[in-house]
Amino acid sequence: MRLPAPATARRGMLVALLLLWELVPRTGLLPELFLPALSSTLAVLWQDRQIYSAALLVTLYEVALAMLIACGGGIAAGAVVGGIARLRELLLPVFSSLYAVPIVILYPVFTAWFGVGPESKIAFAGIYAFFPVMLSTAAGIRTIDPQFILAARSMGATLTQQVTRVIIPASLPTVFAGLRLGGALAIIGVVVSEMLTAAAGIGYLVTLNRTILDSPRVFAALLMILILSVAYYMLARAFESRMVVWQSAGRSPKAAQNESAGVPVSVAV
Amino acid sequence: MKILLARLALLALVLAAWELMPRHEIVNPLLLPPLSDVLAMLGELLQRPQVHLAIGVTAAEVAVAFLIAVPLGAALGVLIAENEYLGEVFKPVLFYVFSIPKSIFLPMFILVFGITFAQKVAYAAFTTTFVVMLSASAAVESVKQDYLLVARSYGATRMQILLRVYVPSMMPLLLEALRISMIFNFTAVMIAEMYASRAGIGHLIAGWGENFQMRQLFAGIIVLATVAILFNETVRYFEARCSTWRT
Amino acid sequence: MQHVAHLDETAIEVANLSHIYAGAQGTVPALEEISMRVGSGRFTVIVGPSGCGKTSLLMMLAGLRAQSQGTILCHGRPISDPDPKRVGVIFQEASLYPWLSALDNIEFPLSLRGARERETRQQRRARAEAMLRLVGLEGFGERFPYELSGGMKQRVSIARGLVQDPPVLLMDEPFAALDEQTRMTMGHELLRIWSTMLKTVVFITHSLTEAVYLADEVLVMSARPGRIIDRIAVNLPRPRTYEMMATDVFGQLRDRIWQQIRKTP
Repeated sequence: MRLPAPATARRGMLVALLLLWELVPRTGLLPELFLPALSSTLAVLWQDRQIYSAALLVTLYEVALAMLIACGGGIAAGAVVGGIARLRELLLPVFSSLYAVPIVILYPVFTAWFGVGPESKIAFAGIYAFFPVMLSTAAGIRTIDPQFILAARSMGATLTQQVTRVIIPASLPTVFAGLRLGGALAIIGVVVSEMLTAAAGIGYLVTLNRTILDSPRVFAALLMILILSVAYYMLARAFESRMVVWQSAGRSPKAAQNESAGVPVSVAV
Repeated sequence: MKILLARLALLALVLAAWELMPRHEIVNPLLLPPLSDVLAMLGELLQRPQVHLAIGVTAAEVAVAFLIAVPLGAALGVLIAENEYLGEVFKPVLFYVFSIPKSIFLPMFILVFGITFAQKVAYAAFTTTFVVMLSASAAVESVKQDYLLVARSYGATRMQILLRVYVPSMMPLLLEALRISMIFNFTAVMIAEMYASRAGIGHLIAGWGENFQMRQLFAGIIVLATVAILFNETVRYFEARCSTWRT
Repeated sequence: MQHVAHLDETAIEVANLSHIYAGAQGTVPALEEISMRVGSGRFTVIVGPSGCGKTSLLMMLAGLRAQSQGTILCHGRPISDPDPKRVGVIFQEASLYPWLSALDNIEFPLSLRGARERETRQQRRARAEAMLRLVGLEGFGERFPYELSGGMKQRVSIARGLVQDPPVLLMDEPFAALDEQTRMTMGHELLRIWSTMLKTVVFITHSLTEAVYLADEVLVMSARPGRIIDRIAVNLPRPRTYEMMATDVFGQLRDRIWQQIRKTP
């Protein structure tokens, strides 16, 4: 027996998953309370489209600001920490130790400080995404080939030129990877915090409908979050590969793999 | 040595700021109680049986979830690393799966298990399995093909290759995998407890936060952070010892 | 041949150069009492065991690193900072910028000072394209480094070193990463380019064959602290041909260098 091509197998699995989602509750294998059918989920999503799109707007607004904090701050701080040897030696081990702390335990502090509105979500998701972005940027800056800078100096580049013409382009792949990571984590941070304590947003809809056992509405919100995070990931990937063609094409798969082994920070909780 | 002193100085600076800024009302002591008050509260909390119980519950959840997730995730990870076809099918999917917030599935676990010990364990194990899977497949793939070839050319059996090539050369990565999985496992248990529960430290700190009991809240955070950092550093110490040969 | 034209003029003069590294375990003498003179238009090759400080010496000649003691003159003026107008450097790994096309890489040094020298973008482009032709890569200008083979990358790297037309070219094991056949071809190509451009070349290598094949003079360095322990004139006629490698003279020269290197521990 010949196995189908991997891409076909993947598509087949997706279709099977959607079919199961429809058929398992319909046939009564699982009660609708545990898993409402795909069609009923989509139906309530359409019926409540105004509620859901309003919630999506709140969530997106929070994600955008959190991303701004995490990516802006994380890339800047990562560049400084990665670029200055002394600072790096001093701080990087501290940050990797702190990385072990589940940041979610700080969320009650943020709600106490900033209230249950968007501010606490932005602050929490911003910080949640900040550290991984900073660590990966610092690691990326550090791996810039010193020969690149030596060559630039030999060609008479001034310090400013070394930064603008060599260090910045050489770190673009890291910066884009940081943006992809930071955005994904900001989405997660916002959703988690909305689920925990909130008065608006998609995460809030998840929790609200869970407490009243309205499963189709829980799954409608869940579906939106799924689509949101996968869409973001695909967009970020596409943007990245367009911007830094030379990076993805020029590196051996082995190198890319080592990188992902070292930084499994993109795994979401 | 010097760098260690510098780090200690930095820590002292942060702690001093935490103590002095609320004391002199540079920041509102209601929002950030001085460190000494928090530590006093911490001492008091650690006497309470209610807190002991919560620590016990959380520890049990963390441990059981980890014991489920590690073998499961490792088996799946090895499978996609070793089986070329499965790897090709699932690896691209995994990257998407990893970018999805697992916490959105918490309501499902609550619907199925209720708000129970089993629900926390199941959710944390579910989350952690993905992390273990990723790290385990990375660890398997990190073994250099050359090592395997050499071993095979000397006539090593499958078992010998496993025990004398795979295990030692994967050791540092395995420890790292365990360490990182534990970070995510701990986080998952915390989220589950904070989200909906009747016991555990996560439940306590969420309650303290809602009731504006900032001293208790910060005391709880200190305990959790200390435990997490201590665990992490211990494993890192062994990692470093196992990987002196790595260049 | 053209390149014998300015033999009397001195391109590089190094006097009593020493260098001491301040490492974690105290100081390490790296280079000791190096004196050398390179005539204008000459091809000088430096060989020596690994870690003898060849690369350090070259970095100092390029003004990329400061020596502890001694002076380096390039056409009569001291070298203390990188001066791309006088000295071009070609590195071991091609060190091309992966985000720039071959042509943009060659143009890179020109673009660094474009505004100051009132050279239009078109003029710079034309110079870069001329260099691309010189190294035999016409039609490959739009390719990115990852689309080029190792030998092609080094050709681009040579073009980049030559584009500002410096009288002196320093090359740090430029062909070390190439396979043997490509390496021979590239050596030959380098001699062809050199003979048309009247450059003074200082070339570092590990390969004794490459040293004899390329050089007018071979300088042999000792293990650390690096000193110059022998100077060997290679009087093989130019243009060099592959057949010369089979001759007795070639073999004897190679052997003499080997004997010198072998002596050092």
